[in-house]
Amino acid sequence: MKSFELVEPATIDEAVALLEPDDPGVRAIAGATALVPMMKARLFQPTRLVSLRRLDGALRGVHEHEGGLRLGALATLTELERSSRVRAVAPVMSRALRTLSNVRIRNVATLGGHLAHGDPHMDLPPVLMTLGARVRAVSRRGERWIDLNDLVLGYYQTTMAADELIAEVHVPAQPTGARTWYEKFTALSADDWPTVGVAVWYRTDAAGSDTTRPTVMTEARVAVSAATERPVRVPAAESALTGAAPDDATFRKAADAAADAVEPLADLRGSAAYKREMIRVHVRRALERAR
Amino acid sequence: MSARHERAVAFTLNGRRVGATVATHETILEVLQREFGLFGARESCGQGLCGCCTLLVNGTAVSGCLYFAAFADGAELTTVEGLAKNGELHPIQRAFVEKSGFQCGFCTPGFILMTKELLSRHPQPTEDEIRHYLSGNLCRCAAYPDIIAAVKRAAELMRA
Ligand SMILES: Cc1cc2nc3c(=O)[nH]c(=O)nc-3n(C[C@H](O)[C@H](O)[C@H](O)COP(=O)(O)OP(=O)(O)OC[C@H]3O[C@@H](n4cnc5c(N)ncnc54)[C@H](O)[C@@H]3O)c2cc1C
Ligand code: FES
Ligand code: FES
Repeated sequence: MKSFELVEPATIDEAVALLEPDDPGVRAIAGATALVPMMKARLFQPTRLVSLRRLDGALRGVHEHEGGLRLGALATLTELERSSRVRAVAPVMSRALRTLSNVRIRNVATLGGHLAHGDPHMDLPPVLMTLGARVRAVSRRGERWIDLNDLVLGYYQTTMAADELIAEVHVPAQPTGARTWYEKFTALSADDWPTVGVAVWYRTDAAGSDTTRPTVMTEARVAVSAATERPVRVPAAESALTGAAPDDATFRKAADAAADAVEPLADLRGSAAYKREMIRVHVRRALERAR
Repeated sequence: MSARHERAVAFTLNGRRVGATVATHETILEVLQREFGLFGARESCGQGLCGCCTLLVNGTAVSGCLYFAAFADGAELTTVEGLAKNGELHPIQRAFVEKSGFQCGFCTPGFILMTKELLSRHPQPTEDEIRHYLSGNLCRCAAYPDIIAAVKRAAELMRA
């Protein structure tokens, strides 16, 4: 690695003023767990890193907000994993965090760094996409909200501008009875990077006392990651679920629809054809486990 | 190298207040070895995967190979060299000796420090908790069953 200018601003205003819209050598740094490996591999050689670690309490914490969550960009993955608030609103997140990398990485990696990195193998983007989460981004120009579905564009590419910071993530209150699951398929150990990641979310109408009427799914969300160039929602699978009963036949139909619709990429974790089959298997499993 | 690319850092290392001048790109692992002659945390994968470079920063385990030395400023660092007190091994170290939780010993400092964080959070860990905590530490000698036995024994010794 080469040395660089390291700045450690105390306020968000100072931090965004130190970022440069047109200089790819200038970047924010939080836990450093994604950036250091890239620097060691010489994929990235910064001229200036703007450290967020001394920011005066801004961007921190796990807060309850209108029945949902407000998660500071500097919250560590360990903080999120242990948070009873996170578990209460989004147990699917707590579970996904348990096998995300290892304890040492989670102890320092931050939510903001996780989302801004833009690697399609990351575990939380598909989960947050199905939970309806949004990111609050700040820059010298003010702030804006980015839907998680629109954040990651491709390998290491996001819709964030070079001088924008993620300030926090909002997870909305989840409707009662919402069913969720994240299925992480790894080719090696359980906490390896996923070969395929599948997050599902659905809710059913309340059948109430009328037991003759079958329960149907009124809304469904399916996201696939890791096997693809970027985490994607799969509308074909979602429409196969919506209006149908959450039974095995429907789940198989949705899994087939996902396998047909998604464009997997070949890499050292498997060929495109293999990953297509793994998508079929794991969309079905995720739906069964959500039930 | 210009002054902007260097940093004077001060931290507590195994109970002692120390300082050093570090380059911005240096990891804490490199600085522990170069400035302080501490080799208990050692590099193997260099990518956060194996745990051989583990140290505690404010009581939390981190991979020294991915941790900038500049970020250690003001922190309290513990390496395996800091565990023994007055020539007496720490109970976790005694448990690893007693249960032979190693063969070559290269991975051992990492496992011991990881166990320290584990036992500070879960004084009576279940087998599942032990595996969860140690899943990011690799042992090429595959002493895993003995390591798990050592962690259980360490929990007993710490409670005693
Ligand atoms: C050994 C290892 C195994 C891993 N395994 C997994 C795995 O199985 N699953 C998984 O999902 N992930 C895995 N990861 C990746 C890990 O989740 C990321 O490294 C981590 O989340 C990045 O967070 P950070 O705070 O360290 O980011 P940094 O390295 O500090 O930054 C990453 C990127 O985000 C930018 N950035 C940081 N904070 C902000 C902000 N607030 N606003 C805007 N931009 C920002 C930086 O400029 C940089 O481009 C693994 C990592 C390692 C090292
Ligand atoms: S050398 Fe740091 S984790 Fe392997
Ligand atoms: S004892 Fe040899 S690597 Fe673990």
